[in-house]
Amino acid sequence: MIQINHVTKRYGKVVANSDISFAVGDGKIAVLLGPNGAGKSTIIKCITGLLRFQGEITVDGYGNKSIDAKRRLGYVPEMPAVYDLLTVGEHMEFIARAYSLPDGWEEYAGALLARFELADKKNKLGKELSKGMQQKVSICCALLPRPKNLIFDEPMVGLDPHAIKELKEVMKELRADGCSVLISTHMLDSVEDFWDTAHIMMNGSFAATKESGDDGESLEDLFFTITEGRPAEGGVQ
Amino acid sequence: MKGISYLARTILKNQLRELIRTPARLIGSIFIAALFVLMLFSSPAEDAVRMPRAYLTAGVAALYALMFFLIARSGLNAGASFYSMADIGLLFTAPISSRTILFYGLFKQLGTSLALGFVLVFQYSWLHNLFGIDLLDLAIILLGYAFTVFSAQLASMLIYSLTAGSDRRRGIAKGVFGGAVVLAAAAVGVPALTSGGSLLEGAVAAANGPSSLLILPAGWVSSAVRLRFGGELLTGAAGAALSVLFLVLMVFLITQVDADFYEDVLKATEVSHTALTAKKEGKVQDVLPQNIKVGKIGIGSGKGALAFYYKHKLENRRARVFLMDGLSLIMAAMTLAFGFFMRDSGGVLAAFAFACYLQLFTTASGRWVRELLLPYVYMVPQPAFQKLVAICLEQVRASALEALIVMIPLGLICGASPVVIAAMVAARIGYSLFFIAGNLLIERVLGWLNSKTVILFLYFLIMIVLAVPGIILAAAASTLLPWGTAAALLATLVWNLLLSAAIVFFCRDVLLYVELNNR
Repeated sequence: MIQINHVTKRYGKVVANSDISFAVGDGKIAVLLGPNGAGKSTIIKCITGLLRFQGEITVDGYGNKSIDAKRRLGYVPEMPAVYDLLTVGEHMEFIARAYSLPDGWEEYAGALLARFELADKKNKLGKELSKGMQQKVSICCALLPRPKNLIFDEPMVGLDPHAIKELKEVMKELRADGCSVLISTHMLDSVEDFWDTAHIMMNGSFAATKESGDDGESLEDLFFTITEGRPAEGGVQ
Repeated sequence: MKGISYLARTILKNQLRELIRTPARLIGSIFIAALFVLMLFSSPAEDAVRMPRAYLTAGVAALYALMFFLIARSGLNAGASFYSMADIGLLFTAPISSRTILFYGLFKQLGTSLALGFVLVFQYSWLHNLFGIDLLDLAIILLGYAFTVFSAQLASMLIYSLTAGSDRRRGIAKGVFGGAVVLAAAAVGVPALTSGGSLLEGAVAAANGPSSLLILPAGWVSSAVRLRFGGELLTGAAGAALSVLFLVLMVFLITQVDADFYEDVLKATEVSHTALTAKKEGKVQDVLPQNIKVGKIGIGSGKGALAFYYKHKLENRRARVFLMDGLSLIMAAMTLAFGFFMRDSGGVLAAFAFACYLQLFTTASGRWVRELLLPYVYMVPQPAFQKLVAICLEQVRASALEALIVMIPLGLICGASPVVIAAMVAARIGYSLFFIAGNLLIERVLGWLNSKTVILFLYFLIMIVLAVPGIILAAAASTLLPWGTAAALLATLVWNLLLSAAIVFFCRDVLLYVELNNR
């Protein structure tokens, strides 16, 4: 479970996140929606411990900067994070070594690489991969330690249709396994069929929160009503 | 044409406006200008030991040749580009003749070439003291430098245009390029070996003689520059004529042989765009060989935080960094050259101080700094201090090795005793640790700042302030203790070790508090 309590993040005088509180429960998928510059990536980086902030963030009850929290947290950044001089397979080995994974990780790493069509690229260097392939390596690195909490920042950007389909399947499987999954995106249709909670962000704050079973406006209409002051098909005012 | 002149005008105008609107940049520019003025008016040491100017002109020829071959060589790979991605997206698709666009690129490049030579301006002080040159002399050296760099960019573009898409033509070009390098080496090496005197004196004489015209085309430019320093008229005139002819020929060939150059510059522009974007985002890029040999697969060792150290070793092998990286090698060569020229006037301590000054720049580009740019070092579930030590280990090992490689020959050049050389190696390792610790301190204390200019300025300031007590200790030790020079060096070691230990203790949790560096 990921718990965020009253988090504020400032860059000098600019407030990127203002007093944000929410939680992602076990076996739930939460999405952060919002236009560019709404503060989605900032709150994600605060949760992953990459930025300083005011407030409190816990992962399965542990402070987000503790080793226990890090052991339970996986992160797929917006920009693919790969080492130019390591092969795809060596990225897996590096994660296994750094996270001190028990024996047998090779089998799971092989399955992940096969699933994301990287098995034949195992000996390719990071710098030789396209952006989409680098993104797949990043995803495999985050999944390899089997964390109970996963955070994806714009994970679909640059992926081919097969990888998008697989990633959606992976997210559903993670939920079924009781993991907490947080996804940031501005592509509404990429998450429309599997989200549990949606938070719409504007100017660093939550403008609305919607549960998947709620009646009323569709997610898309709610999004455009909040961000543009009109529903999706309401025409130009 | 209207569009292009508007573009050039507006870019220049906006650059000036940006300078005024960004206080950090403005302060930086004023600081640099003030430094320059201070340097010009600081009283030169009239009693300084003067070196023969033949050494200066030989050095100039070597610098020109190095720059020409390094830049022109890129034409054999991705080529050089005068354009930005915006030029490609907006200009190349606009209804403007490709030749006009080519000349716009050349014009832009001319400015870049001049700007590249700006760093030479700051060498005025010691060049003035050592060789007695005046401002006009420096301006002529600078002009020759800009001319060489510009010619090299043109040559690179032409080589790429002629060889792109054909392995056979690229093979021929490689052969010709290699031939030109061998010819240049022979032009200096053969007379030096057969002169009967010392190798260095022979090489300097060859670089100043007619055989320098065989160094294409850097020797031509340097021969022309030598006219200002009393060089032979005929060689100088021939050099000047050949230089201009070479430039005209390059422009002519580029415009005539390949007017449709868009495809040729596309890849080169993409490569330089990636590098520029990385630089803008504060990412330190590896200088990697074009074709990386993967070799043995696997990290092989290291569990937990130590996995970072073994990963760095693997990355170094692939980047072909064996004893020292490219930048450290250049700095080592500069240190040894400085030591050679200063061996009589400044002595071993001046050479050591210069070596440590250069080290300030190489420490900040280590692999551990790059590690701070990716999320793994923050996310890996290991104690922050262990991770910190693990990512710095490779830099510590490399620095110790570098101390041996650089300080032993430097000591020998300066005629230092074995005891002093041993003290130099130890003191150099002390400075390495101090600089690594200083970088950590900057991340810990100034990590929140967004301006790279301000960070760099404060970095130098803080490092100087922290180093001063060590220097005072060294001065005291050299007068109070026996073995003056060795005692002074060891005093800096003691101070730097104490200081580094204190900084590392203070910054032990830096990875918990530092922000992912995405400046």
